Formats: sequence, C-alpha cells, structure tokens
Amino acid sequence: MERRRSFPDVLAGGIFVLIGGAFVVGALGYELGTPTRMGPGAFPLLVGAAVVALGLAIAVKGLVAGEVISFGPIPWRAVAVIVLAVLFFGFTIRRLGFVPTTAVTAMLTTLASTRVRLLTAVAVAAGLTVASTLIFVVGLQLRIPLWGPWLGF
Amino acid sequence: MELLDNLALGFSTALLVQNVLYCFVGVLLGTAVGVLPGIGPTATVAMLLPITFSFEPVTALIMLAGIYYGAQYGGSTTAILINLPGESSAAVTALDGHEMARQGRAGPALAAAAIGSFVAGTVATVALAAAAPPLASVALKFGPADYFSLVLFGLIVSIALARGTALKALAMIALGVLLGTVGQDIYTGTPRFVFEQRELYGGIDFVSVAVGLFGVAEILRNLENEQTRTAIVSKVINLWPTREDRRRIVAPILRGTGLGAALGVLPGGGHVLASFTSYAVEKRISRRPQEFGRGAIEGVAGPESANNAAAQTSFIPLLTLGLPAHPVMALMIGAFIVHGITPGPNVINDEPALFWGLIASMWIGNVLLLLLNLPLIGLWVRMLRIPYQVLFPMIILFAAIGTYSLNSNAYDVYAIAFFGILGYILIKCGCEPAPLLLGFVLGPLLEENLRRALIISRGDPSVFLTRPISAALLALAVVALVVAVLPTIRRRRAVVFAEED
Amino acid sequence: MRTTSRYRATARMIAAIGVVSLAAACSGNGGAAGGGDAANYPDENITIVVPFSAGGPTDTVTRMIAEPMAAKLGGKIVVQNVEGAGGTVGAGDVARAKPDGYTVLMHHIGMSTAPALYKSLGYKPLEDFETVGLVTEVPMTIVARKDFAPATLQDLVTHVKANANKVTLANAGIGAASHLCGLLFQSTTGVKLQEVPYQGTGPALTDLVGGQVDFMCDQTTNTSGQIAAGKVKAYAVTTPERVKSLPDLPTTTEAGLPQLKVSVWHGLYVPADTPPEIVQKLSEALKVALADQGVIDQMAKLGTAPVPAQDATPDAHRAKLDEQLGTWAKIIADSGVKVS
Repeated sequence: MERRRSFPDVLAGGIFVLIGGAFVVGALGYELGTPTRMGPGAFPLLVGAAVVALGLAIAVKGLVAGEVISFGPIPWRAVAVIVLAVLFFGFTIRRLGFVPTTAVTAMLTTLASTRVRLLTAVAVAAGLTVASTLIFVVGLQLRIPLWGPWLGF
Repeated sequence: MELLDNLALGFSTALLVQNVLYCFVGVLLGTAVGVLPGIGPTATVAMLLPITFSFEPVTALIMLAGIYYGAQYGGSTTAILINLPGESSAAVTALDGHEMARQGRAGPALAAAAIGSFVAGTVATVALAAAAPPLASVALKFGPADYFSLVLFGLIVSIALARGTALKALAMIALGVLLGTVGQDIYTGTPRFVFEQRELYGGIDFVSVAVGLFGVAEILRNLENEQTRTAIVSKVINLWPTREDRRRIVAPILRGTGLGAALGVLPGGGHVLASFTSYAVEKRISRRPQEFGRGAIEGVAGPESANNAAAQTSFIPLLTLGLPAHPVMALMIGAFIVHGITPGPNVINDEPALFWGLIASMWIGNVLLLLLNLPLIGLWVRMLRIPYQVLFPMIILFAAIGTYSLNSNAYDVYAIAFFGILGYILIKCGCEPAPLLLGFVLGPLLEENLRRALIISRGDPSVFLTRPISAALLALAVVALVVAVLPTIRRRRAVVFAEED
Repeated sequence: MRTTSRYRATARMIAAIGVVSLAAACSGNGGAAGGGDAANYPDENITIVVPFSAGGPTDTVTRMIAEPMAAKLGGKIVVQNVEGAGGTVGAGDVARAKPDGYTVLMHHIGMSTAPALYKSLGYKPLEDFETVGLVTEVPMTIVARKDFAPATLQDLVTHVKANANKVTLANAGIGAASHLCGLLFQSTTGVKLQEVPYQGTGPALTDLVGGQVDFMCDQTTNTSGQIAAGKVKAYAVTTPERVKSLPDLPTTTEAGLPQLKVSVWHGLYVPADTPPEIVQKLSEALKVALADQGVIDQMAKLGTAPVPAQDATPDAHRAKLDEQLGTWAKIIADSGVKVS
C-alpha cells in the first residue's frame, strides 16, 4: 500500500483541531469546578482537548504517511442550493406558512441537480407540496398554519 | 407452571378482537409514520400518543407498544432504502443495509431485518415473561459509575462501525461527544455553546444530526457526478434472501438477540448500545470483516435483532418497577397515568391481565409486523425506482418538515444544513459519520454519569475501579481498544516487513 | 360516553392514516392564525400549549381537563407540547401569540420561579399574561431509599444536619419541582446538601429505588406507586392536608416541619390584552371541567384534586402567582442558583 502526503487527511485533521479548539476556548469561559462537582466547562474542555490531539495526530500522519483518498469534485451548485433551501425552510415556515414554504423549498432542492429541466422542477415541486400537505398536515395533523402571517392571514 | 398460567391470561387478553385490531392499527401506524424521514420512534409515539387516550387501558398500551416497535421497524426501512436513520440503532442498520440496497439487494436486507426482528421479538417476549422481576433487580445494581464505564466501553466498541482507520473513527467519536455538550448543562443549568439562543438550550436534536450527516451528505455525494454515478441501482437482483444469505444470518440473529435482550434491561441507556455492540461483535468474529460496510448481510441481521430484543426487554424496568428506560417509556408512563393506573412495582399484581396481556401482545405485534412487512418488501423496493431527481428533493423536504414538526424549532432545521456540510466534507476526507452519531448519542450519558458518580463518591475517582461492575466494564473497554488498534499496528508491521524484503 | 369517545378516537385515527378529505382538514386547520370577536368565541380550534413533554404530569393534567372544557365552550381543544429550557420556551411562545384566546398556556409552579432562575427570560409572568384560573395543586412527598437510616421526618432533619457532607439529595433537574422542593428543604433546615441532578424524575427515581442516592422530594404523581409498593421510604407529604391515595403518610406540619409547604400548582394563562369576555369564558369552562366527576376521579388517582371553584378564577390565580413569585425569588436568591 502506498503511503504519502494526503490532502484529505490534513483537511480532516484541521477540521478536528478547529472545532475542538473552539470548544476548548468556549469551555474555558464556563466554570471548571472541582473533582467532586465538575463545572459545566470541565467535560467539554477534556473532550475538546482530546479532539484537538486526535486532529493533530491525523494531520501529522497525513503529512508523513496519509491515506490515499481521492477527494473528488464538489457539486457547488447542489451544496449552495440545498443549504439555501434548508435555511429558507427553517426561516419562513412560521412566517409564510406550510404551503408556500414547502413549495419554494421543494423547488429549490429540485434545482440542485444539474440535469433537471425547469418544467420537471415545477412539476416535482407541485407534486411534493401536495403530497407533504396531505401526509403532514392532513394525516399527522401538524399544528403549522397552511398560510402564514406574512401573507396577511 | 405459573408461567404458563400467566401466558394463558396474557394471550386471552391480547387475543380479544379489539386488542388484536388495535395492535395491528398500532404497528401499521407506527410503520407508516416511522418510515417518514426525520421522524423516529420517540417522535412517532409522542405524535400518536393522544390517539390512545380514550381507549381501555390495556388496549391503549397494546396499541402504543405496537406503535413503538412498528416505528422502529419503519425507521430501519428508511435507513436501508435511503440511508436516513431516525434513531441511533437505525444508523447501524444503514451502514450495510443501504450498501446492500445500492447493490440491488434491498429485498434481502429488508427481509433479514424483518426475520431478525421477529426472532428477537419472540425470544425477548419469552425472556420478559419468564424472568422480568429478577432481571429488573439486576438492572438496579447499576449505579452511575457502572453506567459511565458501560458507555465508555460502548464508545470504544463503536470504532468498529468505521471501515477506515481507528484514529479517524476515534476522532469522530470524540467530536460527536463534544457536539453532545451543546445545550443546557443539567447539573448547573448553564447554557453551553448556545450563542444566547434559547432555542439551543435543549441541545442539538439527534434527528438533525442524522439527517445532515447521513441524508444530506449522501445526497451531495450522489450529485457530485451525475453523469457517471447512479445513486441507487434500480435493477433488483433478488427480492428474497438466497440460501447463502439465510445460512449467514442465523448465527448473527441469535447472537444479536442474546446481546440485545441483556443490554435492553439496563434503564440507563443499555438499549442504545445494543445494535452497535452487536455490529462490532459480528464484524470482529466474521471471517470476512472486510465485507462489513460494503453490504454484509450479517451487519443488518445482527444489529436489527439486537435492537428489537432490547426494545422489548427495555419494557422490563417499566413494567416491573414503574421506571422508564428511555423517552418512549416515559411517554408510556404518561399513558398509564392517563388511564388511571399508577405506574410502579404493583402493576404486575394489581393488573395482571394488563401486564401479561401487554407482554403477549408484543409477540402478536411481532407476528403482525412480519405479516405486514414481508409483502411490503416488494413495494418498498419498487419505491427505489422513483427517479433520483424526484427522490432527493423529497428526502430533503420531508426531512425538514419531519425535523421541524418535532419541536417546532427552526434551529433544528438549520442544524441539518450545518451537519450536511460538515458530514459531507468529513466523509470526503475518509471519516465516516456513524461513529460521530454514536458519540453524539452516548456523550451526554458519559458526562452525566461521570459527574454524578463523582458527586456521589465525593470526588474520589477510584469508585470506577472499586465497583466490580464498573471495573469489569473498564477492563473490557481496554481490551476493545487494543483489539481495535491492533490491526493497524499489524498492518504497519506488514508494510515494514515488506520494505525489508 | 365511552362509545362516543372511542368513535372520536377512531375518527382521529382514520384522519391520521390520511383518508380524510383535504377540504375537511382545511376547515379544521386553516384558521389557526385567524381571530374572531369575543361574542362568537370560540369559532375555531383552541390550542393549549404545554411547555413540557407529552405524557408528563403537566401534559396529563391538561389532557384531563381539555375535553370537558371543549364540551363547555363548544369547540375543539388541541394540546400542543412545546418543550425546552424548563418550560420557558413554550411560555415565551404564548406570551408572543395573538391575544385572541385561541392560544392558551398551561404552566405550573415554574411560571413563578423562572424569573429568578433565568436572567434573560424574554417575558414577564405578571405583565405578559392574563391569568385564567388555577387548576390543581399536586402535593409533593419526601422519599428516601428503602434502607436509609432515619425513620421519621424529624430523624431525617437530625441525620442530614449531622451528616451534611455525606447525604445526597436527588432532583429531576434544575428548576424542576423536585429541585425547588429540595431548595426549600435546605433553606428550612439550614443545611447545605450535595445535590445530584437527573434528567427527569424517571432516572432519579430509578437511582433512589436502586439505593444509589439517599433521598429526594417529588410529586405524588411520580412517587405514590413506589411508596405503595414499599420500594422507597416516605416521610411526609408537603401539603396542609393528607393525601387520599396515601392516607398513612403524615403532613410536614404533623411531622414537625410546618415551614416545609410546597405544591406543584398548575394554572391556565392567555397572552396579555386578551379580551376580558374571552378570559371569562375560559375561566367558566375551566370551572365546569374541574367539577366534572371524571376529572375528579382521574386526579384522585394521581394523588391530587381540582382546586376549589373560587380558585379557578383569574383573580385568585393572579394573587397566587404574585405571592409565589416573591417567595421563590427569595429562596432561589438565597441558594445562589442561577441558570443564565
């Protein structure tokens, strides 16, 4: 097996160090307490330090003898559109109500695929809106207004 | 022959027409709702709980129990078909189950899950009937120190969930534990890492993490290269397990059942450990460990059996002691109270028909689930023929709605996006998401029991070694860690030797 | 009675499977954000928000009274669980809801303790809500592991004073009723104990029955089954009168600790500025529900009872809230607990 410098390993290590480090810094802002009564900061501090240590180990190993993984392309369009769609859903569900939010979210997600045609997207979005209204609002009786206050209801 | 009398009483209650009917309605509703992405068993039960409020107590509890294991079953189906687990045990099923689905073997995966669950359910029902009270008293022997060691052991065991290196798996577990600390600290009430947002006080929701790490990350990977990569093979190789499959699942089902039944009894989180301990065991003793994570049917049959057995035996503390083992059981306590039954150790004596009827109904429910789901396999598999351009928006939309519906909390939805991106990048770097998810589930238990054990021992850490249960579990954890890291060392030595030649 | 309720449940179930027509559902759900005038109230579904999980004691009490209240008002009542941060998330939601009487809050003693526990609450109990009426006062019990040495409440007090650094006091989490009762116990006896918090009563009670912790104080809803079965030792009940379901258990007054009085009182609220006629209608419906024999029987099984009719009124409720806010502000400040 070939072992050499590995970009994914270094990136992964970096992410662990970053997140672990952020938690360590955050944890220092909370009380650490005593062994008998550990404060809210103690446990995240310990685990955060462990994550940093493991991240460093992965990064160092990636520099010397990393795993050979092909990172592959990133579907930027899908990433952007799906994140946008999910955030839109969370933000507007209370404000626009179930039906408009669902329709827009469905429409946006459908556009994540590069192969989709506009007409298909509209049809899929419409179908999914009807289906989810039937399943969640009619079937499960979710307490979400169909049309929200932003639309004057 | 008291056992036979009791079972006779139980079956005479459970086989009453309305009880069988509502048991069926329960498993049907549970399956139907549990199969929706983003809605796990706890949410399903909470959502459907009010339906049962106006029934006779025994009927209500039978239906509620049916909803519970029906939902668990439906959750496994979603995990296998679209790689979207609704709870931690289904995350384990997704590992090999979804891989099988990609290879056109969704049918055998679903069948292995159904058969495994049925066998486990049957055995666990007998265990429940024969030995509930003594098992319950064992459960009470576990104190906070013992639970800490049990959870630590479980975390180490979950290294086995990854195909890649032990180092990355450990890092993912630790990251999961760390993310589990977000929210209000239960000891002091201090909100941690919440950025002043009250919506985050309750912590990050499991479903958001699972939907992000598994669902969204998987979809992004599938969209990477739409021209060459097909998400799910729509051709179906076989609908039913082959003879070879059937031979391979027998032992894992039996082992999983035993393991799950034992762990399920522990109210402090044993049931969470059942499915992935079983996975680790199967991977460890298999002659083909390299197949795990690439569609090994043992990796579906074992954990599914363990999970179902544990789900069943987790009723033991509830029924014999009136103590809930997990949120679903807490909801059941509510159902007892609504029906005017005081939950507690006296239920078994005061309401024998209810107690034994509920136990017998669990077996009937398992039969009904099997009858319901085996024919449905064909339908589920056909669902995979839905074009991916329709399927993936549906998954994301339903997941967003499902997640939001749990607590009406927009932050749970935002978290999906965050974990989708994080999971996607980490997966591309060779870090698999399952260990993170389990770290996330077990982390809070680890911290809670660590701190509790230290409060009770007045800060003396030797309590973890002086309590026999805890000491034994810690020893096991050390062994598990050595066993997990050993292959890496051995491989490196092999590399070194190869270079010397 | 049973047949109709079963019919209704079946109907709901069919709806849950999704067979009901879209039109029917729209008429049921569509108007959730609408509003009508007080005279026609209610012309659509009323939602009672329970800021705790489904199946918990508060949820149970709410569901008990929802049906008879709906019958009196002539509409449908939906119970919605909005959990989080000790009930403050759900309460905050209702505080910000439209004051049209269609969003009602059921909350317990936590309404009076939240201002002392939380720095940035986002609402003020007295100013952002109209009180509708008190519902019930659930008694609490002081219970210990079976083999805990003290035999009576007096013994317990002596014991904890002598062994303050050994005894462990469990509770169901910060701000939970058991935590509050524990604080009151410590301030009455003047002893500072090592508290062991749990997430909810279930796990706390499990460790108490298993003998891992020494004692705790919790609602009869949770403890009476264990007391009756002899799995825990009970010392006293914290109300002025004995509880029907536990007739042998002395009150704290009888047991010599009269200052230790606490109950988990529940009340209904609507957002401030809700028209008084609507508040009145709700209060009337509450009174009817509390007089319902079914409700009385169900509550008795939980070791509690509806409040007397004169307490199910906006004024009595407001007075209680006012008094409790002051009481707990002091106890919590003395204990040094602060959540955020």
